[in-house]
Amino acid sequence: MATESPEQFDQVDWNDLSRSGRFDLSINSIGMLVTALPLALLGVYDWRFVGDRTATFEFVGLDRTLETVDFLFIFTLLLAFWYLVLPLYQNPRRTRYYWKEFKRNRPAVVSLGWLGIVFVGGIVGPLVMNAPQQELLIAYQPPVFTSVVDTTPATCVGEVINGRCHGTWQHPLGTTNAGRDVFTMIVYGMTISMQIAFITTTIVATVGITFGTLSAYAGGWVDEIMMRFTDIILSFPTFLMFLLILYIYGAGLGMFIVVFSLFAWGGTARYVRSKSLSISEEEFIKSSRISGASTYQVIRGHVVPNVASSIITQLTLLIPGFLLYEAQLAFLGIGDSTVPSWGQLIAAGRSDLSFAPWIVLAPGIVLFLTILAFNFLGDALLDALNPEAEAENA
Amino acid sequence: MTEPLLSVRDLKKHYPIRKGIFNRQVGAARAVDGISFDIERGETLGLVGESGCGKSTAASSVIRLEEPTAGEVVFNGNGRENATRNADGTHPNDVTAFDDEELKAFRRGAQMVFQDPSSSFDPRMSIGNAVGELLKIHGMSDRYRRRAIVEDLLERVGLSGNDFDRYPHEFSGGQKQRIALARALVLNPDLIIADEPVSALDVSIQAEILSLIDDLQEEFGLSLLFISHDMSVIRQICDRVAVMYLGEIVEIGPVGEIFTDPQHPYTEALLSSIPTPDPRASVGGIELKGTVPSPTNPPSGCRFHTRCHRVIQPEGVDVDQDDWRGLLNFRESVATGRVDIEQVRESLTAGGEEPTDRAIQAELREEFDIGDSIGDEDLEEAFTESVRLLLDGNAERAGQFLEERVTTPCAQTVPERTVHSPDHESACLRHEGRASAEPNPADD
Repeated sequence: MATESPEQFDQVDWNDLSRSGRFDLSINSIGMLVTALPLALLGVYDWRFVGDRTATFEFVGLDRTLETVDFLFIFTLLLAFWYLVLPLYQNPRRTRYYWKEFKRNRPAVVSLGWLGIVFVGGIVGPLVMNAPQQELLIAYQPPVFTSVVDTTPATCVGEVINGRCHGTWQHPLGTTNAGRDVFTMIVYGMTISMQIAFITTTIVATVGITFGTLSAYAGGWVDEIMMRFTDIILSFPTFLMFLLILYIYGAGLGMFIVVFSLFAWGGTARYVRSKSLSISEEEFIKSSRISGASTYQVIRGHVVPNVASSIITQLTLLIPGFLLYEAQLAFLGIGDSTVPSWGQLIAAGRSDLSFAPWIVLAPGIVLFLTILAFNFLGDALLDALNPEAEAENA
Repeated sequence: MTEPLLSVRDLKKHYPIRKGIFNRQVGAARAVDGISFDIERGETLGLVGESGCGKSTAASSVIRLEEPTAGEVVFNGNGRENATRNADGTHPNDVTAFDDEELKAFRRGAQMVFQDPSSSFDPRMSIGNAVGELLKIHGMSDRYRRRAIVEDLLERVGLSGNDFDRYPHEFSGGQKQRIALARALVLNPDLIIADEPVSALDVSIQAEILSLIDDLQEEFGLSLLFISHDMSVIRQICDRVAVMYLGEIVEIGPVGEIFTDPQHPYTEALLSSIPTPDPRASVGGIELKGTVPSPTNPPSGCRFHTRCHRVIQPEGVDVDQDDWRGLLNFRESVATGRVDIEQVRESLTAGGEEPTDRAIQAELREEFDIGDSIGDEDLEEAFTESVRLLLDGNAERAGQFLEERVTTPCAQTVPERTVHSPDHESACLRHEGRASAEPNPADD
């Protein structure tokens, strides 16, 4: 035939179609599997075959090591890429629409830019910058464009004019009491902050959505038990629990993330449950059921996407809480002192506040801006993703 | 005789009402209470009735979106033709007894269009994917093939193939209803159940969608169960009509006969509600008073007797029909304690009248549309006596008294189905005595 006319719906022989559709993976899932598999293998290799003090990439001659938290972080990054960024690219229409709505909120756009910087800094920074080294000789260098009394730093790296030591571009944000470069430490702290943000969000979202939808769909006494368990989680004194774990196992950053996010999903689960209940009454759920979809397909295909877009806001607002919590614990001296988080930096500069305020101020301002940015972002996302608003504007 | 595509027999859907700590069932809302009808291949059956009469519940029970309480739904399409009954009397094509596998196959044979176009699409799914989802669920894993089929189908329902990637909020209500039709069609079903598909649309759009439905039906030989509360829409599109009242079908017949020669008083009332384009024509005609009774406790006898304008007078009574209706309404109100003499008195005083017993009686007559004198001594006396009892503050006694004295056969006997002409049946006591319904041949 010269021209091939498209196949029409009434020409499909359904008895002919096999049930091969069961394992019909989307490009996203294939990508996720392909990229997560090497990570998992590397994780197993690191765990079983590499000695505690040997670097993970010893076998290719690189002196880099990956902690458990790093593995989790990379995994969540992969998740975010395949299931968040790629779908945005795959659905340009919807992305444009969201962007149009999002753009209206100027502070949110600025916030997004700032968070982009923190994100890129957190990922790339540690790769291109050397970890801050202890150099007692150059302790208490002032930030660039400022000066302190000559006696504060041990030796002044910059010029000394009229008995005052001036900052230099070598240490744009000055140095700490141990002579570590504050700017480098802040960049390293970005990694920690992003790790906290991504991993907690993933854990909270996974547990919350699973628990909420299951509870809504199971109904009856299963629902009752699950929701009462959620009440327990919500009222659980997480801080005491963390202290307990701290005294038994010692509290690393990974422990902090896991403990706090495992006790933070209560609100999300509740919200997801009520949202699922209201969504399951919608006619599009009925029409999906009538098309022959199984309950799993209905939940996976319609309930979760609709719930997810409305909890993104809630999750975005959850992250600042974690960042603050980490900083508070660090300030109290019960954080993970082996990681260069902003909170640790603030805690380190606490005693020198009177004569070297930049050690506290620089990370403090960065922390403040980041938390502010997450709050603005959450607000704007609520407006951009709200399906009700879409319907009204239509 | 060829078998019908869909044959519904005595379908019931009761919603249990539970109370107390132990969730004991204390009653049931009988949303659908024993309906039976057939749909032939290529035929459109209209299901009409007021809101709350169980039309939508009937639809979702037929298609097993909800589990019916009792009854049988035999679906003979989708390659299940010419099945014979099993030895134990069950039918192999009974939808209510399908297992998961059969049910999934049944979904390819029967689909549904919903009322509200704005909520019948997932706001986060492009409409192409929403239509193609059905193909995917039924095992078509080739996304390019799905896309080709859906694009072609979108063009057939009057949209463009480029609309595949657009989202529901980008379409108007009429366009969404076209997409809903495409979604119902995409699996090439034999039967489509349309639950008020045009009620949410403008009149001009309604006409477009109706003619689209008509065209599609003709092209693909679809059978339709068309649910609506709008008689004029029914007249446009249906071959046969079933009129539902409070969970029961009161009249069923070809659309021409129902519209020219309605047999059941309820059908008459529905028909008189169609507005006519002639400004000089008198408006309406029959006004149904009162609300639809609750399906948890439907009236005895004929369920329509509480509102029927042709309610039968007992043997030996022959009064004005309006007075009779008014008297029955009065009886009902007194029995349920809704007549408040004090209030009548107050409103009379407020209107500057002396609230004498006489004035009150006149006021009650006016309120219930009862003439100055009822043309029957017994009834007249019963009325005045009950008003006297009410004035004495003895409402309970008045109710009992009226229930003894004012009775109608409609409240006592459940009407049988009467056949008026082949295919035209109704259930009204006034037709009793004519040839009663022969056992339905399909009901073997």
